[in-house]
Amino acid sequence: MLELDHIEVCHGLATALWDVSLKMAAGELVCVVGPNGAGKTTLIEAIAGLNRITAGTLSMDGASLNKLARNRFCDQGIAIVPEGRRLLTTMSVQENLELGSYRAAARVHRQASLERVLALFPVLKMRLAAPAGTLSGGQQQMVAIGRALMAQPRLLLLDEPSLGLAPSIVLEMFKAIRDINESGVAVLLVEQNVAMALEIAARAYVLEEGRIIAEGTPEKLLTEPHIRRAYLGEA
Amino acid sequence: MNFPSWTLLGQSLLSGIFIGSLYGLLGLGLSLSWGMLRQINLAHFALAFLGAYLTFQLTSVGGMDPLLTLGLIAPAFFAFGVLMQWLFSRFSISPFNSLLVTFGLTVIIESLIQWIWTADYRKMDSVYGEMKFKIGSLYVPLPELLTLIIAVTLSLSTWALLRYTDLGKAMRAAAEDPQIAAAFGVNEKRLALLLSGLAATFAGVAGLCLALSYTLSPSQIYAWIGVVFAAVMIGGLGNPIGPLIAGIVIGVAEAMTMALISPAWAPLVSFSLLILVLLTRADKV
Ligand SMILES: Nc1ncnc2c1ncn2[C@@H]1O[C@H](COP(=O)(O)OP(=O)(O)OP(=O)(O)O)[C@@H](O)[C@H]1O
Ligand SMILES: [Mg+2]
Repeated sequence: MLELDHIEVCHGLATALWDVSLKMAAGELVCVVGPNGAGKTTLIEAIAGLNRITAGTLSMDGASLNKLARNRFCDQGIAIVPEGRRLLTTMSVQENLELGSYRAAARVHRQASLERVLALFPVLKMRLAAPAGTLSGGQQQMVAIGRALMAQPRLLLLDEPSLGLAPSIVLEMFKAIRDINESGVAVLLVEQNVAMALEIAARAYVLEEGRIIAEGTPEKLLTEPHIRRAYLGEA
Repeated sequence: MNFPSWTLLGQSLLSGIFIGSLYGLLGLGLSLSWGMLRQINLAHFALAFLGAYLTFQLTSVGGMDPLLTLGLIAPAFFAFGVLMQWLFSRFSISPFNSLLVTFGLTVIIESLIQWIWTADYRKMDSVYGEMKFKIGSLYVPLPELLTLIIAVTLSLSTWALLRYTDLGKAMRAAAEDPQIAAAFGVNEKRLALLLSGLAATFAGVAGLCLALSYTLSPSQIYAWIGVVFAAVMIGGLGNPIGPLIAGIVIGVAEAMTMALISPAWAPLVSFSLLILVLLTRADKV
């Protein structure tokens, strides 16, 4: 479904991603791990159309997205849960969710999507009219995920969804991510919480200094001493 | 000091509401472009005066009904607003630079007005000018009443647009986080063109109201800037109704100051109110 073929992405003059290749099949759950500043956010934002690709090809179902306007990426079925959530804090929870279904193909299913999101995160029901900025961190993350689901994605991009959340809520978040994936949505997950991410992922990529240095199933990656040392805190 | 009669006070209150609604109408477009496009558009005032002079020309020379001139002025001003935003976006003009650029534009438009219509005072003769009616002992001039109706209608419609329509919600989303709005399908560049077009159209409409009630001269452009800025800052940036309410509060306070104390004190009113509001609400602006 998604294919990145030797892509390069720059921030101004600084290259943040070099020669990155990555493939995802429909319905797959793939995770990307790597240290701070490795380029994980840059990668996710490139797939969402927010960062331009300077070399290589980004394609969905074999068609290149390199020249697509950034507001058309959602029509490819790509939806992002960005780092730090980036809710519209002055707008209500419902308005935030509705933004997710702005694109025409999702707008016609708005009501059904909203009900599905509220079934996944029932606590949001009581908060629909509240300004999104007044919610707790965990609830804000639910709104961010809900907003992306409202777009009816085939591919959900999640950038550190557990960042800054209490451990019990992190568990709930991972469970929700697994449920979403089991409903047929492909998930690309960036996580600092490597142990938990590897537990739910079918495959993983390790990104360091803008390059993919390893990929494979979690079982395979966990046999590599370098990865155990760097990401699981083992001596 | 003699206490003025109730009739005089009532008349002052009314004229305060009327001039306040014009402050609000001028502030509407300014507030939208400031709050939602991050542009401090000084040229909004010059544009309004250009609209006023065009209304004057089409009415006094062309013999059109003043209200019908909007059929020509509104689309032309909308196009101008769109073009201006296209240039601002093309050259990535920062909020601070927008102040400088639009100041330059103000001077250009002022010179243009002076060149075409000279610096002489111009007053539009129209069928509306002479029309007044009486409610009790109070005179209600029709041009001013029209201004109030137009200001209220435009402010409320803009509010409803931003509050209830997908288009308006997308505009608010794009104002807060253009990248995220785009990621969910909002064409934020096109919405910015639309917003800027609307703001310029509102300047044109305000120009019509200026021409209906006031004597025009090019230098008058600058007389409105201070008080309208105060109304916008008190009313809230990007807020379509705030400037109208604040404008009317300022207008009434000015008129009461004139009636009860002295006309010389009136100009102090808007800025005293502004400072008061900024001090009590330091977080909001
Ligand atoms: N907007 C930007 N402008 C310039 N450089 C940037 C920008 N965003 C990121 N970078 C740089 O690009 C590199 C990759 O950053 P990125 O945010 O993608 O890393 P990350 O893996 O997501 O890190 P983190 O774990 O801290 O979220 C870093 O060196 C960063 O400093
Ligand atoms: Mg990141």
